[in-house]
Amino acid sequence: MSYGDNQPFENLKLPLTWGVMIIVAGVCVVGALMFLGDKRGGLDAASYGNRGGFDGVAAKSNNLLSTPAHVVGDGANWLDDYFFAADENRILKKKVAELEKYRDSYIQAKELNRRYEVLLNLRTEPAVDTVTARSVSVSRGPFNNNRLIDAGASKKIRFGNPVINEHGLVGRIVGVSPDVSRVLMVTDVVSRIPVMVARSDARAMMVGDGGGFPRLEFVRGGKDVLKKGDQILTSGDGGIFPRGLPVGEARRGVDGVWRVDLYTNRAPIDIVKVLKFEDFSQLPRADEVLRTPLVTDVLPPPPPVKITGIGSSASASSAAAPGVTPVNNGASSSASSSSQQAPVNRPKPRPVTNAAASSSASNPAPPPPPAETSASAASGG
Amino acid sequence: MLQSRNNTSRTRRGNQSALRRARLAKAVFDKRPPRRTSGGRTIGPQDWLLIPAVLCVVATFILATDIPLPFGWDLPEPVWPMVLAFSWPLIRPSYIAPLLLAGLGFFLDYFWGAPLGFYVLCLMAVYGATLLIRSYIVGQDLWVVTVAYGLAVLLFFTLGTILTVIDTGMVPRLISVFEQMLATGVLVFFVHALLERFLHADVRFT
Repeated sequence: MSYGDNQPFENLKLPLTWGVMIIVAGVCVVGALMFLGDKRGGLDAASYGNRGGFDGVAAKSNNLLSTPAHVVGDGANWLDDYFFAADENRILKKKVAELEKYRDSYIQAKELNRRYEVLLNLRTEPAVDTVTARSVSVSRGPFNNNRLIDAGASKKIRFGNPVINEHGLVGRIVGVSPDVSRVLMVTDVVSRIPVMVARSDARAMMVGDGGGFPRLEFVRGGKDVLKKGDQILTSGDGGIFPRGLPVGEARRGVDGVWRVDLYTNRAPIDIVKVLKFEDFSQLPRADEVLRTPLVTDVLPPPPPVKITGIGSSASASSAAAPGVTPVNNGASSSASSSSQQAPVNRPKPRPVTNAAASSSASNPAPPPPPAETSASAASGG
Repeated sequence: MLQSRNNTSRTRRGNQSALRRARLAKAVFDKRPPRRTSGGRTIGPQDWLLIPAVLCVVATFILATDIPLPFGWDLPEPVWPMVLAFSWPLIRPSYIAPLLLAGLGFFLDYFWGAPLGFYVLCLMAVYGATLLIRSYIVGQDLWVVTVAYGLAVLLFFTLGTILTVIDTGMVPRLISVFEQMLATGVLVFFVHALLERFLHADVRFT
């Protein structure tokens, strides 16, 4: 027996190509399993939870790279401002003169709007804290559109916070690590944002597709709810984004699909603001929000009514008037006589407070005094 | 006598197995000096695998830097590991190359925020397909290699589009896909450089 005869597989050699193909197949199986287990459709905090460490390192590296570029860019801007100051000053003067009239009308409209809100007891959006950050890394391919910004959980940024810049909505936070956050852009293929048309108040869903112009889908309303140039705002539906953030303008694409020309396309995204807006949970309690205040709580009191020269017959006729329905019939006759001598006893308007709100929400409104009923009937109210 | 003969044969068998183990240990653990020939340069895995992979990572980092450019332009975002997924199987089939390529795929998944396995699958598809047809491409003119690389890029982005549809239920904007295809296709010059350096040149692999 010669050497090697007792080793039947010694001379069996697997071709290198086949061996490599087996490795490729194995890697593909592993990759496919990981891909199927990491679907991004239902974005939640756990989707990007295991990437925080990597994002932290990547952002620092990109920050090192982008810092010199920003320094050079700022220097170039300074030189540009220096050499073209006179020309720019002339343009700015023209713009200031043009915008002054808009400023006055804006102040008037704002004050009027504030009064209406107080009068109607409208619930306005609560003030939202913001965190300013700088974009340090960007992925702008067709399959992924997101950014890394240099602010994270140490500044109390949380999953889902909206991100804006000076032009409009940029995206929302989908991954947070101590010093870095990942922002899912509104153009990403998994981005879905409820929006509304400012002109017609029609609702739609803005769907990212990896390009610079997200699609408008599920546009609700008639034919003319959407026109070219209409401003698109966030609607606040769903509670992810606050209502009214500027997004862009409606455009019809070459494929006939309505798209949004994003305001953020107007300039490079550099400095962004993270709104610490989370969802409806930070708004006031539901029983306060849904409370309908009494009209007498918010309207100013009507002037007192003076009834002169009318005797008991007049009070009897007023009680029998078909258009007047007293709240308490049993007390109306006796109270009507007293209303002639004494001035009307009205409840003083009181400011709306939380205590009043809760009490009025839990208890039905007490019936007004008879004097008020007859007086208001006499005054036609 | 019989016992002593048995002892002798047992000793011989033991010597043979010890010799075999020693040979195996030498083959596996001993650092063999690279073979050098008079005609060519000797290259190791670090030359044609590790250094290009590191360069791809660095290039991806640099082009992902958020630098505001004038006129609303952006830095291009080509898929750099695509060059390696096409070049490596042409240069030489290797056990290390697909594993390294998978590592690059995971890097892209993490860095670009893609679902895990997305770029691994795309790169492996290109590597496997190129390996299957390598005998038809090696030795051909550059324009044949260029066309083959174009087809590989098409395969990569077609698979990427399909995987995106599976993942999100949404077809990515094809114009954007075409733009990134174009940026990746321009990297064919790096494919030529790699092949020129490691395949067409007179080199010896360790």
